[in-house]
Amino acid sequence: MSSTVADLEIATFGIDRIVEGTQTGRDATTLTVSSSQLAVGAGEPALAEATVEVVRPGEPVRISNVLDVVLPTVKADDPASTFPGILGPATDAGSGRTNRLYGVAVVNSCDWLTPGYVIPEEFPDSLVDMSGPGADRSPFGATANVVLRFEPADRAPIAEVDAAIRRETARVARELAATTLGQEPDDVARYAWPLPAASADLPAIVPILQVASEGTLVDTFFQGEAMDDLDPTVFDPRSILDGALTNGAYDWAGVRNVTAVYQDNALLRALFAGHGERLRFAGLIIALGYLDTAEEKQRSALASAQLAASLGADGVICTTFSSGNSHTDTMLSVRACEQAGIATTALVCETNGGLTDHVPEADCLVSTGNEDELVDPWTPHTVIGSESAARVGEPVPTWAYVAACVETGDAAWTAVPA
Amino acid sequence: MFITALPTIAQMVGTNRILRGVSITSPTGDPSLAAGDEHDLRVAIVERALEMLGTEVGPTTIWELT
Amino acid sequence: MTIVHYLNQFFAGLGGEEAAGHEPVRLDGPQGPGRALAAAGAAPDVTIACGDDHFGEHEAEALATLLAWLEEIRPDVLICGPSFGSGRYGYACGVLAREAGRRGIPVVAAMTPDSPGVMAAEGAAFVVPTGSNVAAMRTVVPVMAGLAVRLAAGEPVGGPDEEGYLPRGLRSNAMSDRTGAVRAIDLLLAKLAGDVRTEVGPTGDRVAPAPPVADVSSVRLALVSEAGCVPQGNPDQLPTRHANVWLRYPIGGVDSLAAGTYESVHAGFDTTAGNADPNRLVPLDAARELEGREAFGSLHDAFYTTSGVDTPVATAAKFGQEIAAELLEAKVGAVVLTGT
Repeated sequence: MSSTVADLEIATFGIDRIVEGTQTGRDATTLTVSSSQLAVGAGEPALAEATVEVVRPGEPVRISNVLDVVLPTVKADDPASTFPGILGPATDAGSGRTNRLYGVAVVNSCDWLTPGYVIPEEFPDSLVDMSGPGADRSPFGATANVVLRFEPADRAPIAEVDAAIRRETARVARELAATTLGQEPDDVARYAWPLPAASADLPAIVPILQVASEGTLVDTFFQGEAMDDLDPTVFDPRSILDGALTNGAYDWAGVRNVTAVYQDNALLRALFAGHGERLRFAGLIIALGYLDTAEEKQRSALASAQLAASLGADGVICTTFSSGNSHTDTMLSVRACEQAGIATTALVCETNGGLTDHVPEADCLVSTGNEDELVDPWTPHTVIGSESAARVGEPVPTWAYVAACVETGDAAWTAVPA
Repeated sequence: MFITALPTIAQMVGTNRILRGVSITSPTGDPSLAAGDEHDLRVAIVERALEMLGTEVGPTTIWELT
Repeated sequence: MTIVHYLNQFFAGLGGEEAAGHEPVRLDGPQGPGRALAAAGAAPDVTIACGDDHFGEHEAEALATLLAWLEEIRPDVLICGPSFGSGRYGYACGVLAREAGRRGIPVVAAMTPDSPGVMAAEGAAFVVPTGSNVAAMRTVVPVMAGLAVRLAAGEPVGGPDEEGYLPRGLRSNAMSDRTGAVRAIDLLLAKLAGDVRTEVGPTGDRVAPAPPVADVSSVRLALVSEAGCVPQGNPDQLPTRHANVWLRYPIGGVDSLAAGTYESVHAGFDTTAGNADPNRLVPLDAARELEGREAFGSLHDAFYTTSGVDTPVATAAKFGQEIAAELLEAKVGAVVLTGT
């Protein structure tokens, strides 16, 4: 099948060595990062300071106060259109050539607690370990990380600080990927939409991707706009893989859908790969979790089910965002789909107290792990971020490791009887 | 619905409509009040219980008296 | 090694039920059963105690105080109880165990398998199963001591069967060979082909909330209680603990449960207030008043009673089903259940 302009092409460039230098650039599989050239934070009045540090898997480093992780990515034909709505106008994403570095991630970190923007109960610890007993908990213990540590400007409004952090993180992600422009990729994955027709004998599968949008520091953005008004909606799955969906929610690290899990979304990629072979990928629905009232939750669940039915779904896969009452949104969606005659699977993480919520129709669940399991204490040589939020030398609950139990299914962790 | 001064235990075992009682030894009363006030309190508790019975709730929901 | 021992008001020697409201206290050395622990080789250095009612009614504050002490002492192990069949004491032990566990402190407890403390502990404690009989202290304490000493020393502890504790129900993290996304697709396709499997299920038995009463003003309402309320003298000998029966008493034409005519035989709490006015346990007078005001349709002509002390979950479920069957037969549409 030859590619068309409409197809999304994700071209990957592998990196296995990362060094600091005077000029950001890529030479074969080595990436050089120049913090002076990146000039992170310059021209952002809401930020007092921004540092750049490079850490590699196996180094004795713990990163704390982690907010988000973004994969280096650039629109090869029009770099200005990378991360639409964040770095430039809110153009459509999801078609044309996108270059992505593989093996490197941009990790941002900001201590909201010390300047008094938040209280500890709202923002539990958020860690990535580059070695030690917790290194394999977060997927980003295995990537070379360009860590951007930000300090808010004195008394800057928090929404402006957050927007600046997200902008700068996206910009660095683009600049790192821009080192590949004009070069030959290791691999190109092509995503067409709509997909060519497949045999009607194959079951039609629709994922319902749950996001949360509850305000500053607990938001999800589509093309830079907060999704707080979202009713269940059909989206072009290519736009998700192409940076249109970004994370701005920073509570509960272990179950946080960081931007990287949207960019490299395992479920969407697996559905594309399975289309025509074992299933028909019939469409993507995105719906909110954490809706405020029982009525709203029920209405949204019904709307998701109706939308899935209108797409011809034989089966639905519900993902979950974070902990707590979003699990009720997931379970109500499962029930509504089952009552509409659609077979349903959902992804949830567990706690030591079992499942957060359950309905009898939820007879087919993927467990993304037990977020309460304690990981052995570790004393790193270096902490990037605040030490007081780093649990140095203390047992660390799995929920504190970024994306350790992410309920989009991007990791391979699960839970089994002890 | 269930009136109890230990609502978290009720939640743990899956009780759906839970109203927090006044105390363990006196779930629907309060010996520290004058008789008339205590009776009014008890009527208010049962009214709240009736309200909960007539309300749609999610799983293991705890209500307070007010 | 540093050992802290948690007790309730009774076992700490602070008093009986009248001291159930006692705020947390910290005492030096072993108290009550702590002396037996000492004889068995696990002498508590500090005893912390709290009244069962105080913990139940002021959980956040009581926990904050107890955990602050644990934070200060940093014991190598925390021993809770034994609480045997006591629901409130067991619950306090379980919650304290769970919170201590989250802070990295190993915990040993002992209680009946049906105690709410087992569930509350969420697997954080090694719970030695007991019967309700406190005389079992002599056999239970050495098992607790043995486990505690090894946990404090960081020595490995064997499985539930060999060591004599309840399975902890914990689930630990393991790497699968596939991402959760691929597993989700695999599971869904299998389900569509008729093979339904799940990686995780609910731990307890869960019932969906009943739909609300459509018209409260016309519903028939029944009063049910586990507060042990019976006619004075307990004519049908309702057991005071681990009751194997529920009873039904007529209240047609009765507007209030008068002191001296009704009493509570519940062995799990101080019944002084309840005996002085049994409406404090079963709110009949208020229900009659509201019936008169037509706030609901009518009151069922009997109330149902048992003593919810040390009641196995299966027994309680059976009681509920049997009582519900009678109530449905009598066209009762709503129940106010009272308890501790």
